[in-house]
Amino acid sequence: MQRRIVMDRSQEIAKQEEKNIEKTKELYKATPAVDIYENEDEILIYADMPGVVKDDISVDIDNGTLSISGVRKLSVTGSVTYEEFSDVEYVRNFSVPQTIDVEKVEAELKNGVLRLHLPKSEAAKPRQIEIKTA
Amino acid sequence: MFTRISDLDRLFGTMNLLQKRLDNLYGDYEKSSGYRWGFEHTAPRTNLYENGDNFEIRAEVTGLEKGDLNVKIQGNYLEISGQRKPDAPENYKTHRTERGIGSFSRSFTLPADVDSTKVEATLKDGVLYLTLPKHEAAKPKKISIS
Repeated sequence: MQRRIVMDRSQEIAKQEEKNIEKTKELYKATPAVDIYENEDEILIYADMPGVVKDDISVDIDNGTLSISGVRKLSVTGSVTYEEFSDVEYVRNFSVPQTIDVEKVEAELKNGVLRLHLPKSEAAKPRQIEIKTA
Repeated sequence: MFTRISDLDRLFGTMNLLQKRLDNLYGDYEKSSGYRWGFEHTAPRTNLYENGDNFEIRAEVTGLEKGDLNVKIQGNYLEISGQRKPDAPENYKTHRTERGIGSFSRSFTLPADVDSTKVEATLKDGVLYLTLPKHEAAKPKKISIS
């Protein structure tokens, strides 16, 4: 199955090569580096997205998939001597367990690091059972 | 042969695609691979713009605070160094760590001398913006035609 997809894609590329159409400059997609932590109460995701402002980030949870997307828009002033990074779209998807309390998900952005708090629902938290003496 | 930038761009695009496909085959789905075809650095990626009287430098310094960064300037020599401290929360189990930590240093030779007393530096959203006014002698001069 995997190989089939690879083959199809390579044929597609070959086709594009023949046509050799001048393509419009598209926004590069990048995968942000992430750290994932977990404790009894929540799952924490840290994602590096330098240069992205709060308004250009979207975090969606739909049917067990968490998708984060952030667009970096840098305004260029003057002539470019050299450029190692440019406008980019950071995209990444995660599968999250159904036990996440979607209503209480919190996100904060600081110094280009997006921090996502995914609290576990009450039912999913480990519970200490008290033993009663008979 | 490659005659146009778009051809080269497409070539790199194809190589990245191949790399992504291979990553997927080996189960590293959507993991950011350490290496990408193209231009990568361990030191922060930097842009240099020239704007009449000023140079402008931008550097990706994700997760760094003001106090973690050092900028040194002498003549046309510029050095940016810093340290990214670990920000892992305590009492948490770690599933994945891709974000690097540690110190870095990068130095540049600017195309002309800058006036180090008038340099402005701002840190915003993980990007360091440096505005470096050129030294009087290096500034562009308008010459009137007689």
